[in-house]
Formats: sequence, C-alpha cells, structure tokens
Amino acid sequence: MATSTAPRTHASRPGRPPERRRAIRIRRQLPTSPWLFAAPGLVITGGFILYPFVSTVINAFTDRRTLLPGRFVGLANFRELLHDDMFWIGLRNSVLYVVGVVPALVLLPLLLALLVQKNIPGITFFRSAFYTPVVASIVVVGLIWVWLLDERGLVNSLLETIGVGKVGFLSDQWLLLLSAMAVTVWKGLGYYMIIYLAALANVPRELHEAAAVDGAGPVRRLCTVTVPAIRSTMVLVAALSSVSAFKVFSEVYLLASPSGGPAGEDTTLVMLVQRTGTGLTGRVGYASAISLVVFAVTVVLMLLVLRADRREEP
Amino acid sequence: MPMSRRALAAAVTALVLPLSACGSGGGGGSTDASGKVEGDITFQTWNLRANFKDYFDGLIGDFEKKYPGTHVKWVDQPAEGYADKISADAAGGTLPDVVNVSPDLVAPLARAGLAMDLDKAAAKYKGEYLPGAWAGHQVPGMTGTYAFPWYLNTGPLFYNKALFEKAGLDPEKPPKTYGELFADALRMADESGGRVATLANIPTIEDFGRYGASLMDKAGTGFTFNDAKGVELLTRYKQLYDAKALDARALNATPESAGKEFLTQAVAMNPGSALDLDNFKKQAPSLYKNIGITDQITNTGHVNMYVMGLMVNSRTRHTPAAVAFAHYVTDAEHQMSFAKKVAIFPSTAGSLDDPYFTEEDGTDETRVRVAAAKSLKSAVNYTPVLFSDQMKTALRNEVGKALQGRQSPKAALDNAVRACDRLLKQQG
Repeated sequence: MATSTAPRTHASRPGRPPERRRAIRIRRQLPTSPWLFAAPGLVITGGFILYPFVSTVINAFTDRRTLLPGRFVGLANFRELLHDDMFWIGLRNSVLYVVGVVPALVLLPLLLALLVQKNIPGITFFRSAFYTPVVASIVVVGLIWVWLLDERGLVNSLLETIGVGKVGFLSDQWLLLLSAMAVTVWKGLGYYMIIYLAALANVPRELHEAAAVDGAGPVRRLCTVTVPAIRSTMVLVAALSSVSAFKVFSEVYLLASPSGGPAGEDTTLVMLVQRTGTGLTGRVGYASAISLVVFAVTVVLMLLVLRADRREEP
Repeated sequence: MPMSRRALAAAVTALVLPLSACGSGGGGGSTDASGKVEGDITFQTWNLRANFKDYFDGLIGDFEKKYPGTHVKWVDQPAEGYADKISADAAGGTLPDVVNVSPDLVAPLARAGLAMDLDKAAAKYKGEYLPGAWAGHQVPGMTGTYAFPWYLNTGPLFYNKALFEKAGLDPEKPPKTYGELFADALRMADESGGRVATLANIPTIEDFGRYGASLMDKAGTGFTFNDAKGVELLTRYKQLYDAKALDARALNATPESAGKEFLTQAVAMNPGSALDLDNFKKQAPSLYKNIGITDQITNTGHVNMYVMGLMVNSRTRHTPAAVAFAHYVTDAEHQMSFAKKVAIFPSTAGSLDDPYFTEEDGTDETRVRVAAAKSLKSAVNYTPVLFSDQMKTALRNEVGKALQGRQSPKAALDNAVRACDRLLKQQG
C-alpha cells in the first residue's frame, strides 16, 4: 500500500508534468515488475514442484498407468496398500532405516567435528578426507561397497583369512540392510560434520573456560556446555537425516540390486514407488498413492523432531 | 489493474508453458502407407551402435539413396533401462518413428494406440516372414500385428569346461535336460565343497516354460505356472539352493552380476549371447580357453526363442517412409546380411534354409550356427507377451521366498499366479 500511494501523492501535484509522467509510468510498472522478477522462480517452482505435487495427489485417486489415462477410483489405491505385503515391507525397511541411521548421523559427525575442530597442523587434510565421500558419486560409492562386501570381495577374503568365514553381507536381508545403512552413514558423515563445525564455532569460548574453572572435564563440558549450545543444530541434523533416511533409494538399490534384495525383502518405500510406477506398464496411480504416504510420513517425522525440540526448550 | 491482470496472465502462461511438454504429442498419423516415401524419420535401436555402426550407417545410406527425399536419423539406446526410455518417450510424445522392440514391449504400446497395426498398413509384406515370427507381435485381446519381425535368437548356454572336468563331469557332454542339469549341479557343489555353483540365476518364466509347465490359459486371461510341473521345478531349485549348487547371490542377481560370477569362474554355467565370446576373450582369457557352448536346457524339446521386431509409431507424420524403412531393415536381403555380421537368425521365410545356416565347414562357429538354426525351427517364445516387469518382480519375490524356505514351492507359485493375475486384470 505504501508503495502505491506514494507516487500517487507526487503525481497529483500540479505544475510538474515530467515528474507526473514519471510517476504514472512507475505506478503502471509497479504491479508488473514484481511478477516479472518472480517469474523465473515461479516457473521453476510451478513446473517442477507444484505441478508434480498436485499431479501426484490427483493421480493417487486414479488407476492411471504410464501410457493410459486413469479413471477416478476414490480410495481404492489406499485400500490396496493395506493388503500389499510389499508396501508393509517397504514401510518397515524405511522406518528401520530412520531408526538405524539417524542416531548415528546425529552423534558421529558431532564427534568428528570435535576432533577436527582444533587448529593443529595437518588438520585440513583430515577435514577434506572426511568430506570426500560427500562429493563422491553415489553410484561409484555403491559399486565400491559392493566390491568390498561381495561374497568374494575384500572384506570376506579378510574374514576368511582370519578364520571367521564368509559373511553374506549382500545375500542376507538384514545384513544387506545394515550394510546399506553403513554406506549412508559413511557418506553423510562429512556433510553433517561441516554443519556441526559451523555451530561449534559459535559456542562462546567463555562458557567452556568457566566450566573448566569449575572443574568440569572434557566429557562434562561436552554434555553441559557444547550439546546445549548446539542443540538446535542437532535438531536440524536429526530432521534432515531422518527425512533423507526415510526416502532412501540409491544405497539399497545399488547394494540389493533393483529386485530389492533376496525375495525383495530389502525394498524401501521409494524403491517401491520406482518399481511400481515406471516402465511401460507402470501403475502411476498406485505409485502416486505410495508417494503420498511417503510424503505424509515425512511431514509427521519433521513435526515430531520439531516438537521434541520445542519441548526441550526451557 | 489492467497491467496486473496482464502480469497475472504472463505468470500463468509462464507456469503452464513448460507443462505443455508433458502431454502426449498429438498429430496422429494414418495407417495408409501407400503415399510417396519421403520425409525425415527417426529410427531407434536397442544397444546396437557399439558393434554395428558401420552396418547401420550403410543400411541407412542405401535406403536414403533408394528413396530420395528421405532422411533417417538413427538413435541407439543402451540395453539397461530401455523400457524406461521408451516409456518416457511414449508419455512425452517423442517416440521415434521406427522403434526396435520385443513382443513384451510392444504390447503396452499397442494397447495405448502407439503401435501401428501392420495387418492394415503393411499387409502385403506379411508373406515374406515366417508365420510364427509375424504372429510374434500380436497382442492377446487385440486384433492386428504391431511390429515387423526382425531377428531371432535362441541365446547359447556357456559353460566352463575346466570346472566340469574338476568335478569329474564330462566336459564334452554338458547337460541337455533339467534332470541332467540338476544331477550335474549337485555333483559340482559336492565335489567343490560348495565353492562352485553351477547356476547364478533363479528360475524365470522361461525356465518354467522349458521345464514343461503351462504358463497361461489358452484365452490369455490367467497364468497357470503353478501346475504340478511348475511346483516340481521350484522344488528341485530349492534342493540346488540348499546344496549351494545355486549361487548364494542368485536371489538378488541381475544378468550383469550373474555374468560377472561366470567371468570370475565362480559359477559353471550361464546363458549369454554371441557378443559375450568377445568379452570372455578380452576380460577372462583363461575362461575363454575353457569355454563350452551348448543349447539351452529344455525338457520340452523346444528352446526359448527371443524375437526382435521393428514397430512403427502410429503417430508418425511420414507413414509411407516409416513403414518402408521398417520393411527395408527387416526384409530377407538385409536380415541375411545382418546375420552374416553377428550370430542372429533371420525371421524371413526360407532364409533359414540358406546354406549359410545348413552347411557346416568343420569349424565350431558353423557347428553352433547350424545347430542353433535347426533348433530355431521348432523354438518357442516362452515369454508371455503380457508378462510385465511388475509380474516378473512378483514371480521373482515369491520364488525367492520358496528358496529361502519361508514358504513351500506350491504356496509360492500360488501367490505368484494370484499376483500376476491381479496385475493382468489391472492392465485391462
């Protein structure tokens, strides 16, 4: 309102035609300009986020296939989900992934950040080394881990050498899931470490000094000074890692193969979306219904993490 | 306010414009191929550029010379994800004019109205092909034929003679039937203390067919591979799995990973194609020295036949050129010249009687070729045209559970048939 009334006041003054003309021009341009500035963002948001989302919601209530238009089927897709064993397997694995990966990704990068936080000679090398997996291609990382964990891979050769015998990292459904979790944690450590490093830099040094004067040791200082000071960062890490863990695809897909491990028992929800909704006979409607469930669970996860954060606030 | 309305219109247009690309590309063509052969068309092959670039460049050049005014743009897609690529093109309205397909790929395209009915557009060419090959691209529940038959293959079975010998088996007498295969596999596992498996793949729908199980009812409305033969096959595979005669990673093996197991000599037998021989030669010379080639295992006397076809996009803007080109690539002369470049077999009538496929010159190469051509005459395409990727996954998962002992073979196949029937109904 302020922007639209100001030019009008100037324009109404008599005897200043050039200014008046300019004011009219500005007034005419004003409503257009913001839209034009926002247009690229709106186009991208609309085309690549809003439209696919709305389209997914609509498709979830149809029996649309890849090449055939769908009919409205109401809640039929969601009813089918309840009786689909693969959906429950996918949900179980995705939830297990969150349970297994999130605590590790909240705590281990913090410890790593504390280790590399100190300014000692050569520490930059370690910071870079810990961050390297983050920039590595997930496909390359997946292939390397497959070579390592294969029945005839490096890890099993070592285990055989020391007399433990072969372990079916990639043929046992639970070990396979654990192996995929290990890859996710290994690859994510560096990313969350950087976030923690930024947070640790903002923890007042005086607090540590005061605690040290009061006789607190390193562990006590970590628990009573560092952790409370960076709690909101830990919540952020928990939120980010739980959302990405629930939506895990690449690690399991690469280690377990597109079939989702032995008898498909390592399939995650996003893998199920991919398997169900793609290909020439893909069931786009049903896959959209699964996607909506993934979206709903993700939102709930975020809300839970934020609620936990709020509850802990003094 | 008028300006803001215009701005709003611009914003809406900007939003909607990119979405217009998401629709299927209208502008349907006709099935009338009688007009002048001219115009630009696109031809898509399935992983053929790497080895046959010169052949296709020559073929396209000859076609363009024969029909001035035509221009063929050749695109080749990698083997992996080929169905997804076609699916994306079909949904986006960018499907090429002539597309290399297999019968199971052409079925959903035909149902979506994207494959041209060649019984209408190219009926005059029908007599040039083997009747079985022409019928190979017909879709149950629909009338018409939706692709020109191209090349046929049976796919040899490779085996490692050294591993056979080590297990006390005759390397010159590989198994021919499933009974012989199971006996040899159990012996191999026993002799190697479970270190060498004979097979790296769990049974597929084609295995059930070759074992003698009935795959579908005659009307094509339901699957039947849970019959006594099917259960017997899965029970025998369970024995192999328990004895480690079936590789431990078979439950989540891909063709690529199974090939690698064979390459590293951890597995004694693996199906493949003629192109694999070159791969063995380069990557595993010690394996290549001991490589044995035999026919597919079958109890029915019929091996599985893989059929390739060329589909014409029903929405092509140059129907005469697209039909003429698809026919040109698949006619007897060009199929024969392609067959002389690689171990594939023509689907044109009479071509298999050519001396090239009937006379041996004493070399292994001609022996294999003549034997394969002979077996092709009675070969069967065991992959049901309507057996989708989702059905393959359903079967695979249930078979996996049976092999792990989590359910009986009978229960596993009953569940698989139920799941496949449900998916079949949903296909409409």
